[in-house]
Order: sequence, then C-alpha cells, then structure tokens
Amino acid sequence: MPIDFWAGWVAVLTIVSLIGFAWVIYGAYFGGKSVEGDEESPTVWDENLREGAHPPPMWWFWAMLASLVFTLIYLILYPGLGSFSGAFKWSQGGELEERLVEHASTFGSRRDEIARMTIASIRQDELLMRAAQRVYDRQCAACHGLDAQGQADMFPNLRDDAWQWGSSPEAIETSIRSGRHGIMVGWRSSLNRAEASQLAQYTLALAKSKPSVHPGKAKFEELCAACHTTAGTGSTALGAPDLTNGVYTYGGGVLEIKETILYGREGIMPAFGDVLDDMQIRLLVAWLTRDV
Amino acid sequence: MNVLGLHKKLEENSGLLIFGILFVSSIGGLVQVLPSIFEDELITPTAETRPYGALELIGRDIYIREGCSTCHSQQVRPLLAEVKRYGPFSSAGESAYDRPFLWGSKRTGPDLHRIGAKFSDAWQRVHLIDPRSVVPNSIMPAYPWLAANAADPRNNIQTRLRRLRLLGHPYSDDAISNAPDLVANKTELDAIVAYLAVLGEAAGSGEEMAH
Ligand code: HEC
Ligand code: HEC
Repeated sequence: MPIDFWAGWVAVLTIVSLIGFAWVIYGAYFGGKSVEGDEESPTVWDENLREGAHPPPMWWFWAMLASLVFTLIYLILYPGLGSFSGAFKWSQGGELEERLVEHASTFGSRRDEIARMTIASIRQDELLMRAAQRVYDRQCAACHGLDAQGQADMFPNLRDDAWQWGSSPEAIETSIRSGRHGIMVGWRSSLNRAEASQLAQYTLALAKSKPSVHPGKAKFEELCAACHTTAGTGSTALGAPDLTNGVYTYGGGVLEIKETILYGREGIMPAFGDVLDDMQIRLLVAWLTRDV
Repeated sequence: MNVLGLHKKLEENSGLLIFGILFVSSIGGLVQVLPSIFEDELITPTAETRPYGALELIGRDIYIREGCSTCHSQQVRPLLAEVKRYGPFSSAGESAYDRPFLWGSKRTGPDLHRIGAKFSDAWQRVHLIDPRSVVPNSIMPAYPWLAANAADPRNNIQTRLRRLRLLGHPYSDDAISNAPDLVANKTELDAIVAYLAVLGEAAGSGEEMAH
C-alpha cells in the first residue's frame, strides 16, 4: 500500500476519535436526560439509586478538556497526524543530525588539535592519557585484556617489545585503523609426527640457544623461512612473528607450538577506522607505546 | 441520539456492549499497528538486507531459545550517544527478514544490532563458552553446551526455510536443497557465531529512509 493511503488513514481515524471523545464528554455533562420516557421506567437499584443521580465530578470534565486541548496543540506542533510534519518540522532524524552538528562544533576543533599532537606530547598529558585509557577499555580490552597484556592465548600482548606487524607509531596506527588478518597455514599434510616434534623443538630453540645444528633446522629452512626468515626473526610485512624473542601469542609450550605448525593459526584484528575518529586512534597509539 | 441514550442502549444490550468495547479498544491498534504491517517503507528490506543463510537462521533460533534478547536489545536508537557508541541507527527495513524481530527493550548487556564487525568469530567463541576468560568483570552467563550440541539435530532446516519462503523470504530451490550440507557437522556454537557475525551487515542502509 502506498504511504499516502496510510497517512490519510491515520489522520482520519485520529481526528474522528478526537471528535468522538469530545462528543462523549460533552454529552455526558451537558446532553440532558437520557431518553424520552425515561422518567416512567427508570432503572432503579437499592430503592433510590438511579442513572444520573450522581453526575460525574466537574474536575473530571476539566481534566479531560485539558487533555483534549493538549492533544490538539501537540498534533499541530509535532508530527502525528499521518504525514503532516507539524509546525516545528521536528523529526527524530533531524534531531540527531542537529546533535551531531552541535557535537562537532563544540568538540571538533579540540579533537582535531589532539589528533595532530605528537605522540610524545600526548604521553606527557595526564588527562589525555586517562581519556586514552577509557577508549581502550571500551573498544579493545575485551580482546587484548584490561591491562593490554593479551589474553586467552589468542590476543597479543600490546605492552611488550614484540610487534608482529611493526612497532612504529605508523604501523600501530595502521593495525588499529585497517585491522590485521594474520594467517599461517597448517602443515599436517606435509609433516609426519617426528618431523613436527623436531620442528617445534627447533622453533623453541630459536629463542634460546639458536643451535647451528639441529634435526629440525633443515625443515624449518624449507617450510618456514619464507615468512619467518632463516634466522626466525619474522616479517612485519607478512605479520609473521619473530620467533627469536620468546614471546608467543598462542602459547610457548611444545604442544602449542606443535599445534600451530600442524593446524595453522588465524588471528583477526577488526578494523576500527570507521568506529574511532583520528583523535581516538592517536590517543590509543600514544597510550599503547607509553613507557610505564 | 444523545450520549446518555446511547449509554443506556449499550448497557442494556450485552451484544452491542461487547461490540462497542472491541471497537473502542481496537482504535489504537488501527492507528499504530495496522499501517506498519502494510506500509512499504517499513516492510521493504533495505538494499543491504538479505534473508539469513541456513546456519545463521539456526543460530538465530538458538539466540531466541537461550533468551539472549532478554538482556540484549537489537535496535540502535537515533540518539547521539547510541550512534557514537554502536554505529548507524537501526531502520525497520533491516528487520524485514526477522520473524519475530528481536528489537527488545531490556539492556542488561550492550545492544547487539551492530556487533558483527566489532569482534572476530574466535572472540565470540571463547566469550560464549566462558565470558570471564576475556572480560573478567562480565556478568553474562556461560553457554558451554553450545559447543557440544549439533546445530540441526532434528534435521529440519529445510522445513524451516520452506516455511519462511511461504511468508515471502526469497529462498531459492538451490538454497533449500543445499541447506543440510551447510549445517552438517556444525555445532550450535558455530551457528550462533555465524548469526552474530552478520548482525549489522546492513548498518546505515536505512539512514536515508529515516528522513
Ligand atoms: C606463509 C607464511 C608463513 C609460513 C610459511 C610459516 N608461518 Fe608461522 N606464522 C605466520 C603468520 C602470519 C603467523 C601469525 C599468525 C596469526 O597472527 O594468527 C605465524 C605464527 C607462527 C607461530 C605462532 C607464534 C605465536 O606468537 O604464538 C609459530 C610458532 C610459527 N608461526 C611457526 C612456524 C613454523 C615452525 C613454520 C614452518 C613449519 C611456519 N611458522 C611457517 C606465517 C607463516
Ligand atoms: C576481536 C578482538 C580484538 C579487538 C576488539 C581488538 N583487537 Fe587488536 N588484535 C586482535 C588480534 C587477534 C590481533 C592479532 C592479529 C594477528 O594475528 O595478526 C590484534 C592485533 C593488534 C595489533 C597489532 C599487534 C602487533 O603485534 O603488531 C594492535 C596494535 C592492536 N591489535 C591494537 C588494538 C586496539 C588499539 C584495539 C582497540 C581499538 C584493538 N586492538 C581491538 C584482536 C582484537
């Protein structure tokens, strides 16, 4: 059905109901006796109680009249009668737009200013750092943990020196703005159990003794070096973590490493470019890279 | 006829009285409810709104079964604070394929209408099985059994899709015949995570219509 039909429907029903309402009130108070001949055969209860013996109190009348007047004024000023948009031209969407404009004009220039501040000067401003922490708590803590130290053997620690996708403020900003999708495929089709164990042992050894002779070394160079490099230092371009720093998002036991090697891993960091504005992202970068 | 005369007639004739009561009490519904059932603007899916896939639909049924909507609403209201917090406000057309819609009005937890892009599937899994493993101060109950139950134990996903098709949801024959394959070997957890992932897919598509 077209909008016009239903707009008319709403308007007509509303007006007819209001007229009916007015008619009932008026009639009940000023409409006179009920019907002809009522006096002869009135319904009487308890000897003398009859219809109309106690008229409704007058303040009811004034209350109903007041509500009717209020309704009429409301329907003239605000949308309500079908598609008539009211004298004030008020709408929910319009109200929101006004608030957004007001928000931008009140806070916009200060927010832009902060977005252009250097990371170092933001770090020195206690107030800004507290604001940054609130943004972090709201948007990031559910994954990276309240202290940003990572959790659930799945979400990386953001307060250490190990940055899978790069440690520069620009790289961290890109991680936040565009998100990250780290994929390591599993190798269970090309490795037998023994080889997988040796590889896991060698991977762990990379963070300790860096052995030059190891049963897992050859396989590592064959399968893993393309992304993690021969030395195991990783590639921030591919998001392949440094395996020599002893930091493991997915757990540093032989079993977890073996699971990574056999079944692969996939880490998704959602993009926040549409959710956060420039200032909030700037604040987060400063907060994450602060000294203490 | 005057008002008291009408009153007397109604009072003395119970059939008329019943009709009168029904008539008067239906006016609100005729004005508020009836038009919204038929008005194009409210029932036409927005450009980005699509019917739920088989697994997502099962997830939605589980969402209803577990009572998620008693604590989570699915409507971002057009208010500054909500739009800033959750994203574009919800429009009626986004719910065109929700039967029943799950707008809700109780917010013990946050609104979920824009949750899809916010978290990863991996997060949703650990969070549903044990919310406190990722949000230490969460009061949300844990739902560990979702991971143990098969998504479609009674094998009736095709029936569910066919019924929705009767109501006008555009499922193709292919979609219905492929459905069992899509949900085979899936758990309830897979289903509900798939459902959560598409919430908010049509975000903002109704914004122009709202003006
Ligand atoms: C195609 C590139 C690529 C290859 C080849 C590759 N990896 Fe990875 N690896 C990655 C990426 C990317 C990640 C990060 C995954 C994530 O973010 O979820 C990763 C993660 C890991 C981790 C987890 C580190 C942590 O923080 O928990 C280990 C261990 C690992 N790789 C070892 C290996 C080994 C051993 C091999 C050889 C069998 C290998 N990788 C081959 C790209 C690769
Ligand atoms: C849905 C969970 C989730 C949320 C929410 C989330 N992250 Fe992440 N984040 C991840 C995952 C998972 C990774 C690792 C991606 C990978 O494996 O490559 C990551 C990676 C990152 C990295 C790159 C780390 C590195 O070592 O290079 C940064 C920086 C980061 N997140 C910051 C943030 C900030 C700031 C927020 C809040 C605005 C946030 N994250 C919200 C899950 C999340």
